[in-house]
Amino acid sequence: MTSPISTSNVFWTIWLFVHLILALGLLGALTHQAMAVALPVRQPAGGIVSRFRAVSAPSYATAVCVLWVLTFLVGSFIYTSYRINIRIPLEQGHYFKTGGFFDFKEHVATLGLVLLPAYWFFWKNAQNPEYDNARKGVTLVLAVMCWFLFIVGHVLNNTRGFGA
Amino acid sequence: MSTTVTTPLATGATSATGSALAASSKFKAFATTFSITGPVAYCLTVYMNWPVFTYFPATGRFYWGLEGVQPSRGPNMLWYGWTLTTILIAAALGVIAMMLPERVSRKLPLFLVWLFPILSIPFVVYSLMFWWRLAMQE
Repeated sequence: MTSPISTSNVFWTIWLFVHLILALGLLGALTHQAMAVALPVRQPAGGIVSRFRAVSAPSYATAVCVLWVLTFLVGSFIYTSYRINIRIPLEQGHYFKTGGFFDFKEHVATLGLVLLPAYWFFWKNAQNPEYDNARKGVTLVLAVMCWFLFIVGHVLNNTRGFGA
Repeated sequence: MSTTVTTPLATGATSATGSALAASSKFKAFATTFSITGPVAYCLTVYMNWPVFTYFPATGRFYWGLEGVQPSRGPNMLWYGWTLTTILIAAALGVIAMMLPERVSRKLPLFLVWLFPILSIPFVVYSLMFWWRLAMQE
């Protein structure tokens, strides 16, 4: 007898794919922004690297907040299945570092979530030099967090995905 | 002639955001306080183990507060509860900051917004010591 769709690997793999797509959008937006604040372009863009840095960074702020929250919510939903179907086999297989890094990832995701109100405020006041350093700092922290979350999630999925 | 003219595109020196929320000093007090106290509240919540609720994924049941692992319920999940506790604490402090006079709330050092999450990382790594100990025993 086949299992209900809500408990099947296909169901969770689709949600994991949605999580991946959202995370990719977030990663791209945050990386653009981080490059724009860390290495601002001084002249009209020439090469591909300069054009990558020469984005209209403030316009990304709301999208980044929405994407972070959506990625967080979808990830939180998948986490319920992970706890039963992935983490227990990981422990049984003695993949303790992998399990530890996933728990590390969940903590970092929450730490990033609570930064969003100030991040949004700083970017929505991008014309105010009073917030320049704080805006640069929080954007770089969020970008590093996002890369960390993405890489850990990717490695974890390679270690044991829902279809494994 | 200097060629180091910062382009509006690169700096994001847009004129206005068009949002009353972004121009509000009350929202500034709330947002910065929320984001500064959030990482501290999260570390405190994890350290004290104060989840608002505990979720048991095997049975799909929620329980208020901290519920330990029981064989009949399967593993428990505290992270959702910790996150909600953190949001509630940070939001409460943010609301208090909104009520303070602007001359007081303006004194909040803004660099703490990015410093506290960085300082939280060593604690988070330490809080996962049971994983690292198991890995070391391999």
